[in-house]
Amino acid sequence: MKNILEYVGIEPDRLHFSWISSAEAEKFQKTATQVCEAVRALGPAQHMIKDIRKVA
Amino acid sequence: MENQEVAQKIQEVAKKLLSEGKVSCVIGFEKGTVPMRERPFFAYTPEEAERLTWTSFCCNNLANFLVRRDLGEAGKVAVVAQGCVSRNIVGLIKENQISREQVFVIGVPSPGMLDRRKVQAEVGAEKVITEVSEDGEDLIVKGKGFEERVPRKKVMRDNCYTCVQRNPVIVDELIGAETEPTHGGNIDKVSAPWEKLQADDRWAEFAENYQTCIRCYACRDACPLCYCHVCFVDEAQPQWCGKTQDESDVLTYHVLRAFHCAGRCTDCGACESACPMGIKVRRLTSKIEKDIREMYGYQAGMDLESKPPMSVYRPDDPQEFIK
Amino acid sequence: MSDTSNFQPRIAAFLCNWCSYGAADLAGVSRLQYPPLVQTIRIPCTGRMSPKFILQAFRKGVDGVWVSG
Repeated sequence: MKNILEYVGIEPDRLHFSWISSAEAEKFQKTATQVCEAVRALGPAQHMIKDIRKVA
Repeated sequence: MENQEVAQKIQEVAKKLLSEGKVSCVIGFEKGTVPMRERPFFAYTPEEAERLTWTSFCCNNLANFLVRRDLGEAGKVAVVAQGCVSRNIVGLIKENQISREQVFVIGVPSPGMLDRRKVQAEVGAEKVITEVSEDGEDLIVKGKGFEERVPRKKVMRDNCYTCVQRNPVIVDELIGAETEPTHGGNIDKVSAPWEKLQADDRWAEFAENYQTCIRCYACRDACPLCYCHVCFVDEAQPQWCGKTQDESDVLTYHVLRAFHCAGRCTDCGACESACPMGIKVRRLTSKIEKDIREMYGYQAGMDLESKPPMSVYRPDDPQEFIK
Repeated sequence: MSDTSNFQPRIAAFLCNWCSYGAADLAGVSRLQYPPLVQTIRIPCTGRMSPKFILQAFRKGVDGVWVSG
């Protein structure tokens, strides 16, 4: 999925996958921060959004 | 072997099968009402079998019809299959949609199917083609006031040019001799044309490619992999994909359709041939096909034994994308 | 996009009930701080995940998607 989205031009850092066990609260905290930072760095999403204003 | 001879042989085999009662139906092609539009044909009697034909414009994938429920009840059916179609039959057997005993495969080594749009472009878009015949490696295109010879190589479909399996992989009766497995094109070089672009340009190319899509779902209906009774685009609760021609709806449809073909697509090109708008539908599916080949070393439908990579788990599956 | 430092992305997080959702719960109980931008969607198992969900999320305008098992 990540490959194909990247192929059509969606930035790969918008999509994250991870494995976290229910005992790994710290890893969860770390990953959540990482994901947020990665997406923040990219700025708002530009593509694929269904814009009601444009359609109607 | 010339296509005319192949057509004769197909008729002979079909007549024999039908008159002996070995199959209830032979699925092949008949001549279309306009040139270069050969259409699928179901022959139920030996007389009907005489309408069967074989040309370089038999672009539909006949494996598509094997999952029809009324055929399942009809008992054994025979189907004319070249390399890619036989691979799709293997795929359907693997996915338990049909059983091997149910189909009789009339195998035909593929001559490499031709693209009617390329032929039209070759003689000029304004000219009306009334007759097309084949002469060895050339195509003779006739119309009012003109006659042209077009080399087959020039008008071959994109996917046929990079075909890796022209000979059928499963066969009950082979017509003609096996040929070279490929047409000489390199699939790795052309399968993912947008890979070299930057993210924004990729999106622009992607959106432009599908811009003219009218959401007729011909690509889905022509595809032998798309046999779900209710397709995700027809689901309304929840609605995954809007029914408008808005860019986001169109692109969602195409991304998901392509994704559903992951590890199953045989690059038969039926979707692209079926598209009334001439959209290069394969731009997405061939990329996925390439990914599956590189990540799992798997090509769909090459044999009956190997397991499809998207439905099995192996400890050494690629997992670099997971943190 | 002029000032990315103030940009607050919206992120849809699909968390498995038994793994990451538990981890999120534990993180909360342990008072671990993480950005409030993650909007959690609990799924019964990561096997429930489908590419449809990811596309749907993007269509509805999220800036990022995080799938965690």
